[in-house]
Amino acid sequence: MALPVLLVASCASSMVQADERDEEIERLKAMIAELQQRVEALEADSAVGDEALTGAERADESGTLPLEEATDEGIAFTGAVRYNFSADEDSIDSKRGESGFDLFRVGAEGSVDNFQVSAEYRFYSYMDTIHHGWIGYESPDYGAWQLGVSQVPFGILPYAAHNYWFGVPYYLGLADDYDLGLKYIKAIGNWDLQFAFYKNDELGDPSDLDRIAYDLVTVGEQANEETNQFNARAAYTFGNGVDAVHEVGVSARGGEIYNTITGDTGSHWAAAVHLDSRWRRWNFQLELARYAFDPANPATVNDDTVLVGAFADAYEIAAEGTVGVANVAYNLPIDSGFIDSVLLYNDFSIVHKDLDDAEDSMLNTTGAAIGIGPVFIYIDMIQASNMIYFANGSLAAGGETSWERLFNINVGYYW
Amino acid sequence: MKRSKLATLLLTAGLAALVPLTTAAETLRVVSWGGSYVRSQILGFIRPFEQSTGIDVEVLEYAGGIGEIRAQVESWNVRWDAVDLQLFDAIKACDAGLLEKLDPDTLPPAPDGTPAREDFIDGALTECGVGNVIGSTVVAYDSDQLPSEPTHLEDFFDTRKFPGRRALRRTPKVNLEWALIADGVEPDSVYAELETRDGVDRAFRMLDRIKPVLSWWRTGSEAVQLLESGKVAMSSVYSGRVHATADAQTPLKIVWDHQVWYLDVWSIPMNGENIDTAREFIRFATSTRSLANQAGYIPYGPARRSSMALLAPEVRRRLPTAEENFRTAFESDDRWWSENIDRLNHEFRQWLKREVMVPERLRR
Repeated sequence: MALPVLLVASCASSMVQADERDEEIERLKAMIAELQQRVEALEADSAVGDEALTGAERADESGTLPLEEATDEGIAFTGAVRYNFSADEDSIDSKRGESGFDLFRVGAEGSVDNFQVSAEYRFYSYMDTIHHGWIGYESPDYGAWQLGVSQVPFGILPYAAHNYWFGVPYYLGLADDYDLGLKYIKAIGNWDLQFAFYKNDELGDPSDLDRIAYDLVTVGEQANEETNQFNARAAYTFGNGVDAVHEVGVSARGGEIYNTITGDTGSHWAAAVHLDSRWRRWNFQLELARYAFDPANPATVNDDTVLVGAFADAYEIAAEGTVGVANVAYNLPIDSGFIDSVLLYNDFSIVHKDLDDAEDSMLNTTGAAIGIGPVFIYIDMIQASNMIYFANGSLAAGGETSWERLFNINVGYYW
Repeated sequence: MKRSKLATLLLTAGLAALVPLTTAAETLRVVSWGGSYVRSQILGFIRPFEQSTGIDVEVLEYAGGIGEIRAQVESWNVRWDAVDLQLFDAIKACDAGLLEKLDPDTLPPAPDGTPAREDFIDGALTECGVGNVIGSTVVAYDSDQLPSEPTHLEDFFDTRKFPGRRALRRTPKVNLEWALIADGVEPDSVYAELETRDGVDRAFRMLDRIKPVLSWWRTGSEAVQLLESGKVAMSSVYSGRVHATADAQTPLKIVWDHQVWYLDVWSIPMNGENIDTAREFIRFATSTRSLANQAGYIPYGPARRSSMALLAPEVRRRLPTAEENFRTAFESDDRWWSENIDRLNHEFRQWLKREVMVPERLRR
């Protein structure tokens, strides 16, 4: 009796287990099917990755025109070779002008993993020198750092002039100056903030005049050198960003002057306000700057002037002065043809010196900058009054008030 | 024993002789572009084709062009049975006699009986190619960055009404057509206008309006990144990419006005071993159902009108070929571009060098 009951029970149990197993199998199959559907749906959703292109798009993307502004990281090597022709009133009468080799320069710039580098070295017929050279790190959140010889953040950047000869601030060391130190750049909204500390000039040797930016230099009894300089520059940009971009800014500079004869330390400072306005094809630049050098000279040396130098030369400038810049430029519309760009400009700059017997020094340059492929040409008519390098012009005391003229053409091939 | 060995040998030899024939008859080599695109084809109609016919499909990937087809056809060693070509390549290869002619009347009609000739969108049936999917370049925008919703192509060039940076692909293609259309040129006259000096200058002058705020992109993903990162407010993009981004709940939206569309087609290299099977495959692959299936896996438009009716409304709405999206669509003339690309690439490079405003930095 017990055996049949057990057999029946066992069979019943087996049937129940079989049913449950079947149900389990069906349930798992349903789950697998559902998961498969989800996988396919996810695959479809992710179908718009890089590889989700139609044939036409793929062919399009591998098209014939390479990106010239490729965002790929890497270091690019740059360079230029330039020649110059100039004619002042004397040379035009004698040789109908002078011409010669201007410079050959090589450089490198780029970035790898947010680490940046920018360097340039220049060879002139009479000297060779570093133009700039820094290594940097840029973070989208924390700004950019530059360590090395970098452009001093002061006034209108990158240049307070459009022409080849620059303007008065450059010859006073107040524009396109390069020194050795640490610079920090941070953009916050429409603000561009730059802070820098420069230990000394770009060469670290004030007796070396083979440089391209004007600094205090030591020659004879003039024994002052720039050291421990701080810079701060804040610029605010406004306008619609399309055909009107206006920048207003303030700059400040302060530092020590070490006198190698007395061993004492003086000081210097400068401050500037500027407007750099781009409106349609026009550019208007205004800058007003004030500077002062207070050197710790020996008693035998006049404190009213200081010695600056570059390009293997040195000259005195007034120790204090007020500088003005007023530039205008117009970018000619070029529809087509051989020429890529023509920029017309008139750059005016002046320094009023705090010296009783000094005349103002002025530069006014009317010219054109023409771009033809890799060739860039500056054609300038420079008029100078009491300006260094023009007749008996002086950036210190004395000088002359007549206007001197120089016609200059600079032709460069850039890569 | 000897007889047994002989029989085995004969059987083996017979099988060996049969194997190539069997492979040739039952394995179809289909060539396409790889990635998610070919995945949409595999899921959309290649697997169903295999299940329906019992024919194995071997999917091969390539990078476009007709060089390989030319080499195979000219050597009479054709290993590719059906190839997904961009329309221009198909036209070029057909002109060169490298492709089989395809008769549209052999293609299946739409489910409602509409003949294939009428069911395919205009231009999708050529002498040697049958339309597959339609992609397009559209204007997309970040709605968080704009004061109102742009609706027309002209809005892309209107930085007063819609301020913010723009991005375009660094090429004259699409950009010049859009510039002229936005400047009032009738779409039908765009390429005639670009044949003239005045027309090209007119296009570049229109682009000058946005040049100071223009960024450039190279790949479709870069365009979307520029928008997603907020670096630009509006950009040209491949339409399919924005839909995926929008699905991820970002504020990117599309202006379909004057989308520039282009087509991929199926073709059959001449002198192949499986031409009849390849024709059967193309008939299957370009059926109403197959194209609708593919659109479910990738947001590109099916070349058949009837396929749209099979798609869910939310899928249909995001395709370039949806009726409301396609109303002002502009067809890129690949043949014209093939004849003019060198000239306009040169002009474009020259234009890139010409800044509208005074450059911030001159060469020193």
